[in-house]
Amino acid sequence: MALRDHAIVAYAETKVMEKSDRDVFVLIGEMLESVLDSTGVEKNEIDGLVVAGMTGTGAGNIFWPQTIADVLGLQVGFCEQVNIGGCSATGCVVRAAAAIEYGLCEIAFLSFSDTHVLEDKTDHSHTYRREWTDPYGVMGPPGAFGLLSRAYESKYGLDYRMLGKLAVTQRNHAIMNEHACEKLRVPITIDDYLNSRVIADPIRLLDCVMRTDGGAGLLMMSRKKAKEKGLTKNIIPIGYAELTNYLGGENLVDVTKSGHSICGEKALKQAGLGNKDIKSFHPYDDFIIAIMLQMEAFGFCKAGQGIPYIRETNFDYNGDLPLNTGGGQISAGQAAGSSENLVEAIQQLRCEAGERQIKDTTNALVTGIGWINYGRNWGSSAALVLTPE
Amino acid sequence: MSDMTKALNDTLSVKRTIRHFDFSEPYWEGTKNKKLVLQRCKVTKKFQHFPRPVSIFTGRRRDIEWAEVSGKGNVYSYTVTERGTPAFRGMEPYAVVSVTLDVGVNFIADIVNCTMEELKVGMAVKPYWHPLDDGTHLLMFQPDKDAK
Repeated sequence: MALRDHAIVAYAETKVMEKSDRDVFVLIGEMLESVLDSTGVEKNEIDGLVVAGMTGTGAGNIFWPQTIADVLGLQVGFCEQVNIGGCSATGCVVRAAAAIEYGLCEIAFLSFSDTHVLEDKTDHSHTYRREWTDPYGVMGPPGAFGLLSRAYESKYGLDYRMLGKLAVTQRNHAIMNEHACEKLRVPITIDDYLNSRVIADPIRLLDCVMRTDGGAGLLMMSRKKAKEKGLTKNIIPIGYAELTNYLGGENLVDVTKSGHSICGEKALKQAGLGNKDIKSFHPYDDFIIAIMLQMEAFGFCKAGQGIPYIRETNFDYNGDLPLNTGGGQISAGQAAGSSENLVEAIQQLRCEAGERQIKDTTNALVTGIGWINYGRNWGSSAALVLTPE
Repeated sequence: MSDMTKALNDTLSVKRTIRHFDFSEPYWEGTKNKKLVLQRCKVTKKFQHFPRPVSIFTGRRRDIEWAEVSGKGNVYSYTVTERGTPAFRGMEPYAVVSVTLDVGVNFIADIVNCTMEELKVGMAVKPYWHPLDDGTHLLMFQPDKDAK
């Protein structure tokens, strides 16, 4: 057995909300109900629970996954929380597959719901921040990406209009995505991007993700079991790799380089694909420039050539390389424990994306970015290649 | 882009109370006398910052030593904060710099005595020690106009 012997047999998502109108447990319950209904699986057949660790609401509770099992009435042989920040959702998929393969469970419910606007218990105090960035007023992730952007600009030059092109592309996709946060479903232009309020120069408001609330969930089992159950619209993970603390044993690093350069190659190799074979790209987007850095890291273009590559490539859902076709987190809202772009890719590969449906659904590449470490790029990188059954 | 004609604030009036990790204490002790003392790995002779409980090069606690350094370096990158953290609200715009010190570590800090026009990647800087209420000093940077 291998990663590709496992299947995502169902997905569920709520509309992304500026602030949730219901408790996170209600969102989690709705996601469970949805995947049970769409597959005909009985609740008592679920014997695995895998929960994204990127949850503001659950952050203060060291018993969070057990609490969810209790709330849902699930008896499970595998109960796991995956704590790699914005890599959590893709990380949940591979850990669920590993648990099924190892015989710890047969059918796993993956829960990504979060209400970090409604109730945020996140605590960064026992980290470098209290001594080394808070006393200097470093503005969290925008501050770190401000430093990263300036370093890139200094090394290679940076045409901000091309970053604006990515922002506009994603916004157009969000307008076509009825699940995107309603506040963000208004058209923008490149000039709107350039003129948006500066947060941590050169990071502007329209570079940044907006925190939102929402729910999402998946159901996974072996392909063999899915076949026995007559489930047909299955999505198969065929390549995965993650890397945390890239070059962590070195002190001076180039912030324009990330762990994606390593885990991208590894995941594509496992999938048996080259980067030119990728049919749609669903990169984790906390800041617009992170999308471009990932294009370089995955070899869509050479290091430092992101801007010309963006200039000559059409990233629309019907373009050369469809990009974050649900709007990405930046235009759909950062909700549901880093799962936004993963769920969109699954929906696309099942040909259920409506008016923004991608034509070529042979495969999709989804990524994760998690955490900000001191003076580096980002703490965790992940890459997941999916294909329909 | 930020408005080049705008003055940069120095943030010196911001009230700062810093909780130290116990393994960082030698750093803070050094700042009481305006000395920059950083961790060095005894085995590889490389410096590391921020302070860690072990050498990031060998993984061993016993390989850590502390050494005084000049604090001189060059700006690796900078960002002008236009929307500060809650404690810094009202101080905008202020610049945060990442400085590559001459001993090969990057140090993130605020910069003072510097205009927006002067602030450039590669600019030479030297320490500026800002006194805190607990007797320690906070390392900031300022342009080093004597640097070659």
